[in-house]
Parts: sequence; structure tokens; C-alpha cells
Amino acid sequence: MALHLNLLHEEILEQRQRHRDPLKIGILLLAGCGVLLFLYYGWNVYQTLQVKAQLSAVERDWAKVEPKVTEAQKRAAELTNIINTTRVLDSYIDNRFLWAPLLEKISRCVAPNAQLTAIEGGVQDDDKGVTLTIQGVAAAHEPRSAAEDFREMLLEQLGQTYREVKVEFKALDDAETVTKVDGAAMPMAHYTIAVSFKGNSAPKPTPAPGRSKRKNESS
Amino acid sequence: MNLPKLNSDQIKKLALSVMGFVFLLYVYFTFFLGPLNKSHQAAEAAIADRQHKIDTSKGEMSTAANLERQARDATGRFGALKALSPEGAPIAWFPPRIKSLFADQKIDKAVARLESATSPKEAELAGWTKYNWLIELPQTDYASLGQAVAALENTEPLLCITKLSIHLVPDQPQFQQIAIAASTVVEKR
Repeated sequence: MALHLNLLHEEILEQRQRHRDPLKIGILLLAGCGVLLFLYYGWNVYQTLQVKAQLSAVERDWAKVEPKVTEAQKRAAELTNIINTTRVLDSYIDNRFLWAPLLEKISRCVAPNAQLTAIEGGVQDDDKGVTLTIQGVAAAHEPRSAAEDFREMLLEQLGQTYREVKVEFKALDDAETVTKVDGAAMPMAHYTIAVSFKGNSAPKPTPAPGRSKRKNESS
Repeated sequence: MNLPKLNSDQIKKLALSVMGFVFLLYVYFTFFLGPLNKSHQAAEAAIADRQHKIDTSKGEMSTAANLERQARDATGRFGALKALSPEGAPIAWFPPRIKSLFADQKIDKAVARLESATSPKEAELAGWTKYNWLIELPQTDYASLGQAVAALENTEPLLCITKLSIHLVPDQPQFQQIAIAASTVVEKR
């Protein structure tokens, strides 16, 4: 058996220890990881730059479109406002109570032997109901019948146009004086009639400008 | 596993290496990759936002175009209604206009007085004011009154008569005294 003598044992051991120096290995590992991380960072930077370039393109597109869109939004809001306001104004116009047709109807009911002395009327705010108080005198052999004729005629005339018509005597008194009708002396009666009704069921006479021609014509 | 036996010096160096590695990771993620990712995500969010705006803008523009066509009638009518009210305070132009209207109906004496001005109840009429007027006709006959009221209601569509009072003129039963309470809506200028 051959005998081997290692006279460089210490040097070889030292060299081996240098090779597996943990600090050196750690630095190598650290450097390796650093390179990998740097590459990964570079890839991310590249992707981010691409996204930013895409963002710039989209922003350019948006900058071209934005003024038109803003203008369109402003115009749409303005038009919506105009449409809504016009609708409310149309409703205001259409829902008005028109007095001229009412005056015409009242005039049709007054017989030659009757005279109206006062008319007071008003429109209620809530449901557009109308109330009237009519005062007058009637002269006839039966003045109360003449007043009743007027009341019935008024009820009939108003019922043709309006809803929920009520025509009632508030007062009907014989007058002490007499008057001449066609040369004959007739007794008189004073009356007060309360009238109430609702809405315009028939006439829609008032034209909004540019919509239709006049329809409200009193005779 | 046969691990090499480390002496104390080597253990110190190994610990130092590990600390260095941890510090490297910390710096990398905190000061490099983290902000970069945030920037990336912000850019992507901004792209999505702009793209959404661009997509919806097409719809909004077509909606506005459709609305423009639909509103043509309303716009014309709105302009005509606005044109009914001249520039200036209504108290300056309304009474003369009423006087002129009744004069055209052969009612010479007509006085219009402003009673009050309020805001309309409707939210859509926020830019308008409601004026309440009292119109007095000291002497007219019933037929002329009827025609004048018809003319008033036809020529002033934004005028609404709320009360009407007709009384005989004393000693002249062929004439009546008239009081008309009316309201108008006028655009604020």
C-alpha cells in the first residue's frame, strides 16, 4: 500500500475555506437576486411606459371630444329646462279659467224682464273651482217665477260647459216698488244667486303664441 | 444532509448577508417597484375613466341632437312666450298695454295697478315672477266688457283672471263698474 503524504494540507484547507466563504457566497447571491429584480423592474417600467403612452393617446382623443361633449351637455340641460318650463307654462295657459265665455253664457240667460245688478266671481286656487254671486231684480206678474226662470236657465247654460254646476238662491225677496214692463206695471223681486262649478270641460280657447289661432270670442 | 460546519466568523458573515438581502428587498419594493406599480395602476384607471367618458360622450351627443329635434317646437313656443314680456319692469309696460288693449275695445278708462309680486310655486318657473294686478274699469257696458275680456284672455295667454267684480254705476244702470284681479307670469330679466 502506497503511502501519501500531504505536505500542503494547511494551504489546501485555507483555499477550500476561501472558496466557501459565506460572505462571498452571500454577495454573489445578493448580486444574482439584484440582477433578477432589476430585470423584473425593467420589465415593469417598460409596461408602465406603454400604459402611459396609451393614456396619452386616450387623453388626446378626450381633449378633442371634451369641448363638444361639454357643449352638448350644456345644450341638453338648457333644452330640458326649456321643455319643462314650456310644459308648465302650457299647463298654466290651458288651465286658466276663461271668463269671456262665462259672461256670454250669463248674458244669454237674462230675460228682458230681468236685470243683473252685480256679479262677483272668483277662481279658487286648489281645484280651479269657480264661485259666483249674482244679484239682480226680476219684474213680472210672478216675479219669483221670473227669478226662478233665470236660475234654471243659468243652470242649464252652465251645465253645458262646466262640471258640478250648482245654482242656488241665497236670497229672493219681493220688492215694494213696481216697474213698468211693456207699459204694464209689474211687481219686482230682488234675488241673490250663488253659483259654483268646476273647470273648463269644453272650451280650450286661448292659444299659446305660435300654437293655434284664436278661439275665445265673446259675442 | 451534510452541512459544512461554520465557525463564528462565518456565521457573522452569513447573518450580514441575510440582513443585506432583506434590506435590498425592502428598498426594492418600497422605493422602486411599489411606486412604479402605483403609477401603472393609476394610469390604467385614468385610461378606463377617459375611455368610459369617451364612450358615454357619444351617447350624450346623440341624446343632445335628438333633444334638439324634439325641442324645436318647445323652443319656438318658449321664445314666443318670452317675447310677450318686453324688457324692463312690468309695472312700466303692463298698465299702458292694458290701457291700450281696453281702448281698442272702446273702453277708454282702464287703470291697472300692481298689487304684489311673488315667486311661482312650480320649480320649473324659478326664473319667472308672478305679478298680481288689479284692473279697474270705472264705466263700461256689459257687451263691451265681454269682448274686452275675450280680447284680454286671447292676447295675454300668460294672464289669468282670478276675480271679477261687476257692479252697476249708480244712476246709470246701462253702465257697469268693473274690477278685475289678474295675475301674470313674467320672466325675470
